[in-house]
Amino acid sequence: MFGLLPLSTMMGFKMMVSASPSPRSPEITEKTKKYDRQLRLWGDHGQSRLEKSHVCLINSSATGTEILKSLVLPGVGSFTIVDGYKVTQEDIGINFFLDQDSLGKSRAEYTTKLLLELNTDVNGEAIEEHPEMLLKQNPNFFNHFSVVIGCQLDEKTLVTISQVLWESQVPFVYVNCIGFLGWVRVQVNELAIIESHPDSTIQDLRLDVPFPELIAYMDALTINSREVAQKTPWLVLLFKAIQKFSTPSTGDSMDTTGCHPCHMKSQEKQEFKKYLKQYLCEVGLKDTDEEFDEVVKAANSALSPSMINSNVQALLDDPKSTKPEKTKFWVMCGALREFVANNGQLPVRGVLPDMMADSDRYINLQSVYREKASKDAEDILGRSQQLLKQAGLQGLTIVEEDVKLFCKECQNLRLIRGYPMYEEINSVPVEILQELAQNTEDSDQEMMYYLLLRGLLRFQGDYHTYPGLLDRDVEPDINRFKGTFTKLLNDWNATISAKEDCIHELCRYGACELPSVAAFIGGCAAQEVIKIITKQYVPLDNTFIYNAMQSTSSSFKMTRANS
Amino acid sequence: MASDVKGLLPADLGQLVNECNVLVVGAGGIGCELLKNLVVFGLKNVHIIDLDTIEVSNLNRQFLFRREHVGRPKSIVAKESALLFNPKVCITAYHDSITESKFDVNFYKQFNVVLNALDNRTARSHVNRMCLAAKIPLVESGTAGYKGNVSFHMQGISECYDCTTKPHQKTFPGCTIRNTPSEPIHCIVWAKHLFNQLFGISDPDEDVSPDSSDPEAVGDAGKIALEESNDTNGQVKEKVSTRQWAQSHEYDAQKLFQKLFHDDIKYLLSMENLWQKRKPPTPLDWNDLPDVIAGSSSIDQQTVTALKDQRVWSMQECSQVFKQSINQLKEKLENEKDLIWDKDDDPAMDFVTACSNVRAHVFGIQQKSRFDTKSMAGNIIPAIASTNAIVAGLIVTMACKVLKKDYYKCNTIFVMPRPTAVKKDLFPLDQIVGPNPKCYVCAEKPEIIVKMDLEKMTVRILGDKVLKTELCMIAPDVEIDDGQGTILISSEEGETDDIADKLLKNFIKDGTRLKCDDFLQNYQINITVAAMVDEEDEKDREKSGILFEIIGDRTQLNAKEQVAEGKKTDDQEQPSTSKKANPVHDDEDDLMIIEPTTVSEVQVAGTKRRLDETEEDTPSKKRKVESETSEVIDID
Ligand SMILES: [Zn+2]
Repeated sequence: MFGLLPLSTMMGFKMMVSASPSPRSPEITEKTKKYDRQLRLWGDHGQSRLEKSHVCLINSSATGTEILKSLVLPGVGSFTIVDGYKVTQEDIGINFFLDQDSLGKSRAEYTTKLLLELNTDVNGEAIEEHPEMLLKQNPNFFNHFSVVIGCQLDEKTLVTISQVLWESQVPFVYVNCIGFLGWVRVQVNELAIIESHPDSTIQDLRLDVPFPELIAYMDALTINSREVAQKTPWLVLLFKAIQKFSTPSTGDSMDTTGCHPCHMKSQEKQEFKKYLKQYLCEVGLKDTDEEFDEVVKAANSALSPSMINSNVQALLDDPKSTKPEKTKFWVMCGALREFVANNGQLPVRGVLPDMMADSDRYINLQSVYREKASKDAEDILGRSQQLLKQAGLQGLTIVEEDVKLFCKECQNLRLIRGYPMYEEINSVPVEILQELAQNTEDSDQEMMYYLLLRGLLRFQGDYHTYPGLLDRDVEPDINRFKGTFTKLLNDWNATISAKEDCIHELCRYGACELPSVAAFIGGCAAQEVIKIITKQYVPLDNTFIYNAMQSTSSSFKMTRANS
Repeated sequence: MASDVKGLLPADLGQLVNECNVLVVGAGGIGCELLKNLVVFGLKNVHIIDLDTIEVSNLNRQFLFRREHVGRPKSIVAKESALLFNPKVCITAYHDSITESKFDVNFYKQFNVVLNALDNRTARSHVNRMCLAAKIPLVESGTAGYKGNVSFHMQGISECYDCTTKPHQKTFPGCTIRNTPSEPIHCIVWAKHLFNQLFGISDPDEDVSPDSSDPEAVGDAGKIALEESNDTNGQVKEKVSTRQWAQSHEYDAQKLFQKLFHDDIKYLLSMENLWQKRKPPTPLDWNDLPDVIAGSSSIDQQTVTALKDQRVWSMQECSQVFKQSINQLKEKLENEKDLIWDKDDDPAMDFVTACSNVRAHVFGIQQKSRFDTKSMAGNIIPAIASTNAIVAGLIVTMACKVLKKDYYKCNTIFVMPRPTAVKKDLFPLDQIVGPNPKCYVCAEKPEIIVKMDLEKMTVRILGDKVLKTELCMIAPDVEIDDGQGTILISSEEGETDDIADKLLKNFIKDGTRLKCDDFLQNYQINITVAAMVDEEDEKDREKSGILFEIIGDRTQLNAKEQVAEGKKTDDQEQPSTSKKANPVHDDEDDLMIIEPTTVSEVQVAGTKRRLDETEEDTPSKKRKVESETSEVIDID
């Protein structure tokens, strides 16, 4: 059963092996092993961005510590904690990382020390100072961070930090946990995402707008027997069926009136499918063949029009594409814009779905798409470099790898344009108020909580304390808070009012963070920071409110009101 | 801790937190976060159990563990680390399997709530049954990448964990694996089976040599072999094992390669019926290996990524890695009786990557990089610290409601990577659903029908594949309902060994009722046997190799779930059920992600059992379904 090889061959083989370099074993480093489970989420390029990043946390509250924990573990490059407070008994009570020894010590230093123990690859530093003081000493202090996270900020500091970061274009994640409520706000000036990881990517097959190389390849193939048809990828069979279907000279074809099957409505598509089956029988396939089913099934998703979605179109129409600013993303968008103007289509993605076929035939078909994708990418690269030259954007280099990824993902490009929080805090939340005025139902509780949280910020600004801080009597604070909140609503010309029980609950917790809410919100904020740093997945845009009492949450976008 | 901070918790909750006793099952990704939350919340009594030891790949998220802890028991180290932060808590740690008989119903009764932080279906199902039996509320959870979920289960109030069919551990018909692979996963499963055959504990179901009894091939040379393999007693005849063969050739890589990828393939080619409608495989010769890579889109990735193991290897490279890994494994075998396949063991992973790729090349199937092969072979689910933190926070929030007996506020909650289309919600809630009256676990008298091929199935397969794998029983007893109480399978070790390898036709027939009982789980189910008729099989050649099929109420369950899911998803085109799918595992619509770290091994009653071959997720097709419907997630 097992063939013996001639001795000479064996000898020859042995010599061959000893002569060749030692077997190439995949290099798996300790680090790759440690990060294996997350590399599968954001890849090594995402990991490399994470490792190069430097995040700053203002105030290492329980929530702040939770956020940094979830950034230190996956290997953020380095972190800085800016925190002027000393550890209090309450801190120890709600922050897992603080023990009794830490009482009265610098919160920044103690937290930094404990966080660094979680991952030896990470660097960290503690600055025992309040952020406003730091800014006084050095107005550019925050400019070099990849992301700044702010916890436990009073209204005035929040406004200052938000403005400083907006002006220096540093992404800012504001986090506020009070009792059973959580508030996360992402402030980015502009965030371009190439790898948005959509739930599903539309196949890019160009059946409705075949490129010349594809037509030439298809034309050269003849399918003249069942055997050949079985070995032929479904894409080829489908292409040929469409071609025949759309050619008026074919006597048995429908009156297509120029409508390509990719652009048909579902009922017309059924007609085409009937034709497709007929065609498959003509080339020799039997309707019991696996391949027959495969073509018919694949046709469902393959027959979609090649088009440019609204997200991408908006990018192409953006003034920054016409006159690119000095970022790789916008220069490549500019190149893409020219490309689309010339070709009417986006670059070919060059990725085919798996298909049952003879592997040679599959490889050949694949290389037709892949070569076209390379050619298109080369075109984009050339245009990008041309644009760089024209605009005199020296110092910026765009390489093949950038363009290849950009082209592969060009269907999925996303752009987030932010709204600065300092403006939000200084303006009337018109849309929220309108929404609440229209819906008196409970469904918009989170929006009401948003207003209450704004009320808390105002209260804190006015009284330099939070209502219901722990050992005080709650009742007078509730009344004071109601006063502040009513005044705020009046300032906003709002016609709504908050429920008594909401206000009571809010005041009962004082400024305290609940550990489970801190854990939850900490995880949420960390995920947003990771999305911003890795530039993968689409971050929160831009507000998230969580209510642990009902386990409900809501995310919405605060925008500049049209006035 | 929070309960010490005056006024932080409402008085009633504060007292409940102080007095309660909680069981955390699992000290992995979620377990570490959960233990932290419970300790800081101020719970005084926490029990934590985990069977596993710490691995390097845990360190990116399981923050109670450090580099120096690698190799030590998770539960013990988690306890030690947590106590450093809060010495006042009483933590009881068990380095043990939750399915051990000492963790009986009485053990569960001491807890106010059980919090699952598990990573596999068998253990989840088991804890579910124990909680049902002990009438203790259960909070279940899982994460996968940016996704996660938390749900509540309580007898009589909400559905139990088994009320909706859970995605099954994917298995493939034996003939597909042995004779006619058509997808990369088939080659990977084959390679893992081969590993076990060569170096580990071989399982007769994991045979890797050509299967001449393939009904499709009947009429060929195979027929004779089929007749030879069963003797008159209906007992499967011993044959020379692959391992014995390899040993007799001193694990010579070249000879093994030649047998596996040349001679065996030639033999397969001799079964001409198989290749009438398929592209026949091409045998490979060690001395004449092509330097091309079977068609795949992964070449694209190669340019984008830098990781060395993300590149697809040529046949030359595969053969070298094949040789190198065999030599390493052979060396290991000198000190160990049997090797257990582990995705994090480099030689084992290298071996599977090389073998599956060579086989893929032989059959003209798309090749996969080592990185991708590892994902598929080890059923690796991405896992990050932040999602675990989110889920653990949600578990504690739900546990508080459970302690306050606010059961009807314990809606299932999902964690999504992006807002859902409908409510723009990152954390959508589900209605609380009452128990499914036809549930095969929590119904009053669970009943199912199992179609079996009595001619081919042995008693052992009934026990291992139907009762343990499918129905998640741990130590089943099976009695034939024939009025005489004939014992078919006993949970007592050795008691029914003599008949374990006999064919079922010797004991039961169409219509026989089997009373199955798991004493520990306090779980009884009646199975009605429906004999599989041969002609039926031949008509549907895709069923070849399928030994049994669970029908009846389980099928109805499936139908019900599909309707429910159709509503939830925004009318995406449902993937049509693949013809290749095994009807037993009709899970195209199920989205299950089983966490990576420990799925490969579950310790049952002291013996390491290998469940891994069944944990895989099919590649492209299924992944799409997951992301589209994204409702049921299960994991970490
Ligand atoms: Zn149930």
